[in-house]
Amino acid sequence: MMDISLAAALTGLLAPLLAFALIMVLLRGRPHLCAGLSIAAVGLSLGSALLLLARHGASPNPLEYSVQWMVSGDLAVGAGVFLDPLSLLMMVVVALICLLVQIYSLGYMAGDPGLARYYGFMSLFAWAMLSLTLAPNLLQLYVFWELVGLSSYLLIGFWFEKYSATQAGKKAFVMTRLGDVAFLLGILLVLAHLGNLGIREMNTAAVAAAFEPSTLTVAILLIFGGIVGKSAQFPLLTWLPDAMEGPTPVSALLHSATMVAAGVYLFARLYPFFSLSPTAMAVCLAVGTISMLLAATMAMVTRDIKQVWAYSTISQLGFMLMGLASGSYFAGVFHLTTHAGFKALLFLCAGVFIHHFETNDMVAIGRAGGRRQLIPLVCMTLAAAALAGLPPLSGFFSKEAVMAALAAQPNPIWLGAGLLGAFLTAYYAFRLIFLIWFPDRVSAETAPENTDAHGHAHAQPRWQVLVMLVPLVVLALPTLGLGGLQTHLMSFLAAGLTGPEPVLPHLPWLPLTASGCALAGLILAWFEFGRRRAPRIGFAERSAFWRSLFAERWYIDRFYRALVDRVIDRGLARLCAGGDRHVIDGAVDGLGRGTVASGKAVSGLHRIMIQHRLGTMFAVIIFLALYFFI
Amino acid sequence: MHISPTAFPWLSSILFCCLGGLITILLLPGRRHQEIKWVSAFFSGLTLVLTLNLFLLYDQRVGGLQFVERVSWIPSLGITYFNGIDGFSLPMLLLSGIVFFTAVLTMWELEHRVKEFFALLFLLVTGVFGLFMSLDLFFIFVWYDVSLFPMYLLIAIWGSTRKEYGAMKLTLYLLAGSALILPGIVYLVVQSGLQTFDLTALMRADLFSPFEQKLGFFLFYIGFGILAGVWPFHTWSPVGHVAAPTAVSMVHAGVLMKIGAFGILRLGIFLCPLGWLYWAPLMALLATIGIVYGVFAGLRQTDIKYVIGYSSVSHMGIVGLGLATVSVEGLNGAVFQMFAHGIMTALFFSAVGYIYDRTHTKALDELGGLSHTMPVASGYLVIAALTGIGVPCLASFWAELTVFIASFRVYPLYATLAVAALVVSALFMLRVLQRTCYGPPNERLAHLGDVSLGLGLPRMILVAVILLFGLFPALMFELIQTASIPLLNGLPR
Amino acid sequence: MIVPFNHVLVLSGLLFFLGLFCAVVRRNLVMILLGLEIMLNAAAVAFVGASLRWQLMDGQALVVFIIAVAASEVSVGLALVMAAYHRTGSVDPRQLEQDG
Repeated sequence: MMDISLAAALTGLLAPLLAFALIMVLLRGRPHLCAGLSIAAVGLSLGSALLLLARHGASPNPLEYSVQWMVSGDLAVGAGVFLDPLSLLMMVVVALICLLVQIYSLGYMAGDPGLARYYGFMSLFAWAMLSLTLAPNLLQLYVFWELVGLSSYLLIGFWFEKYSATQAGKKAFVMTRLGDVAFLLGILLVLAHLGNLGIREMNTAAVAAAFEPSTLTVAILLIFGGIVGKSAQFPLLTWLPDAMEGPTPVSALLHSATMVAAGVYLFARLYPFFSLSPTAMAVCLAVGTISMLLAATMAMVTRDIKQVWAYSTISQLGFMLMGLASGSYFAGVFHLTTHAGFKALLFLCAGVFIHHFETNDMVAIGRAGGRRQLIPLVCMTLAAAALAGLPPLSGFFSKEAVMAALAAQPNPIWLGAGLLGAFLTAYYAFRLIFLIWFPDRVSAETAPENTDAHGHAHAQPRWQVLVMLVPLVVLALPTLGLGGLQTHLMSFLAAGLTGPEPVLPHLPWLPLTASGCALAGLILAWFEFGRRRAPRIGFAERSAFWRSLFAERWYIDRFYRALVDRVIDRGLARLCAGGDRHVIDGAVDGLGRGTVASGKAVSGLHRIMIQHRLGTMFAVIIFLALYFFI
Repeated sequence: MHISPTAFPWLSSILFCCLGGLITILLLPGRRHQEIKWVSAFFSGLTLVLTLNLFLLYDQRVGGLQFVERVSWIPSLGITYFNGIDGFSLPMLLLSGIVFFTAVLTMWELEHRVKEFFALLFLLVTGVFGLFMSLDLFFIFVWYDVSLFPMYLLIAIWGSTRKEYGAMKLTLYLLAGSALILPGIVYLVVQSGLQTFDLTALMRADLFSPFEQKLGFFLFYIGFGILAGVWPFHTWSPVGHVAAPTAVSMVHAGVLMKIGAFGILRLGIFLCPLGWLYWAPLMALLATIGIVYGVFAGLRQTDIKYVIGYSSVSHMGIVGLGLATVSVEGLNGAVFQMFAHGIMTALFFSAVGYIYDRTHTKALDELGGLSHTMPVASGYLVIAALTGIGVPCLASFWAELTVFIASFRVYPLYATLAVAALVVSALFMLRVLQRTCYGPPNERLAHLGDVSLGLGLPRMILVAVILLFGLFPALMFELIQTASIPLLNGLPR
Repeated sequence: MIVPFNHVLVLSGLLFFLGLFCAVVRRNLVMILLGLEIMLNAAAVAFVGASLRWQLMDGQALVVFIIAVAASEVSVGLALVMAAYHRTGSVDPRQLEQDG
């Protein structure tokens, strides 16, 4: 008999797949049915996730169900589910946010001609992401890792008539693919040495014996390459801001809360394995820090509301990696959880504004009367405060945990970078908030009727507004309250970890310093954007050099563009295509032409009358006969 | 090996089914297009059913050669009509059956010289089936030539872009290949001193000296390698794909290129295992160059069919790399990749063919926005491209993964390069999609209709096959294993 | 064997040279074909003689082949001659030169 946990897990995993298949094959013509089906499926997933959490939340032993999916020689690929505190937590987070975002999309995407396709892809994503979360071995994880990348590609390019959207989708796919290549090579390396890719097997200390230390470091760094790609870390970070071309609910779900967090999840998943190599951990820490700071600077200058949150996503993912890489499993995972909540909230709020005002420009939204959208704005402020790490919101606690882990590092530079990051985060988050709360021109208030008429030109039915607001309120709850669960979560997660969690020193000055930094950022933002006679120009924007550096994303994009153009398109590709046409084909065609030419030359001999030829032939034969036989 | 005369000759019945179709078509008057198409569909469908039946009847627990039929043909020369299938040839038969049936359905809208087209197509496919099931070197060679000769006419008469050049180039290349294969066969048969063309009799490990095996393998490798698109003998393939009409491209890229790889496996590896071991590093090198070169050359192309042609070169490189690993996983992956790539390119050409029939262009610059007017047709194109990139849950992913795993153990550098080529292949496939399917609606194409259910049928079948084997790769791997494990176990080390 | 084998060979040789002479010298396409036929028959005579000499049937079998080949060759050849005549209005092989 199948036991209830397995049945629940399978139902939770397969319901979205079934929904996807039904939608794509049969129901494309009936968008509302598709939406209902997709939401019901992901609701089922959430239900089973909660059931599993309730059943296994307290048990210290992870549960693994696996079957052989395919065998080829020595290679056996298993498929199954792996239930431990980390995967259960992640599953609940993913299912919850999927459900909320899909409900929200009912309002946001209403009337879109591709609604059925949208919900189909959303179901595909839900299936892939949930299966990734529960994967018991690295290969299954890789399979779904690729599939979430695929659904990300499809959803970014959802509005395929927009060139920028298809471009962004392609860029996202190719850049994450670059990381995935490293990931795959890492998997191959581990497989070659260990002969096994089970996550439980990889997370034992005995693994170190199977590798030479340098090989182990290389393997870990290669796997980390996948994380860099998926979580948009330095140097593969520029696809994420572009990915904002997709519909906003997609950004909220994939490109902030869940899919990009899959990289961090993988790190946490393999945390004991990663911590076998201190060198690799140091590299990870450095990459996390660099991405965190770079993205924060980029967020300071853009005026696109979604871009700000995209950069902040990169930055916060960097924070999570810093937490994990500096040795605190709990800090990283905790920040992942809280971030999923408040960042989804930020995006969904931004979506309300974008939907209502039909612009992404925060200044324009402010001028058009953004502050009259009271519920979204309050929610967004709340979430921004959480993002900035202000007490008593959830972000404060999780960021605190990361800071504590950084403080435990021997080198103070990491903590310094973390504090700087906290300052910048608060600054750019509240720059946006203040620009909407306190616009410079009050055109909105001088002519409220006018904008109102404009705003409701595409008046929505009441229920659509409502389905967009309910998820906001639901997501605001964890943003407010999740911090209080810190100790519960800590003991819950610690149960799943094989090694002991390092006891971090309790530093009473640290929370004060960190929130002081955040507060300083907030005050600077207020000074520059909030107060009545504020200049409304940031300190980073004053200097043309810094502004263009940040706005051009530190020229990383230019570099890639040039690389693709010069080296790949005009270099290697041209070399190969040209080589094909001129060298190989040239040689072959030359051979052909040579044959024809020599044939022509010889055929001159044939230009005599047929009987002469016959006579010659016989003469030759007779001479040959005489020569050989006499 | 048992010869049971009472058993139903399933294999010959496939051949007779093709021949029956050929003869029936020849007997029909040429202007009755509909009847000819229905007859073609019937006979090709019957072939597909027969191959499926074999797939289901083959006993995987026993493995080895099954459905053996043996009739002495020219005893004084040791030529027998000897058929049988194992875990290597069965996937190929299934592939041929699927591609053949879908290719016939794809050409449902053909109006020009319908009778001749389908007659030649049937002749071509007879050769293909014969080659995959034959175990007699003489017959293998005959079937090989039977399957090559109609290609020239099919391309030269019904083709498009530079069709005479493409047809001539293809024919010359393939004849050059057979000019190497025939000496190879004759050389080995003479050297064996057994007066027989029976493959199973010649497979005895101690029969040939190491030198003979090296020479024989080399001849087969180059000779069949030309057909398999091994770099640097690949240039006929993109040109040929581009020139050929849709169904011929499908059969050509889907099945004929597999004949090359299958020939290397069946003749080269089975007869000359020592030669295989000796030449494996060269195979791996050429295969890797092909993989990397194919994707980069594909990046520069402006004609969709050229793009697919070069991606085929790259994908066939993966087959070569798998064969070069000399391991069970590598062989499994290579054969699976042959199957998966066959289905995938068939789908690709089928989708492109549909679009070409409507828009009359294959140039990337002139297309765009197809998803607005033909969402379903471009959906097929998207699925084909994604399979080409190696997205999981689509058939070729597993094949590539196994080949990478196997080759990483033996040739880490080559495997790394091959894996890295995935990025570029993603780049160029997605570019194709971006320029054809996506973008603002194209007014020039706005009036065109989408695929109807009937015309969509062949693509649907192909997509279903891709998904089936992508989701359940074990179906295929377990079958191939029945042949690859004994082969590797019998290898002299 | 009544007739010595050498005599058969001489006969066949003479016939062959007659045919050769006819084929090379006569400026008429039909006569060239005729010459070819004679040469084939010369070979056939030699085969028959050899078959008698060694008491093997292979020679006779080959003669049957030769007759069949000769028949088909003549029919195709005459058809070609007709075609040439239609094009050039003569059966002179020299006329074929100019048309190439």
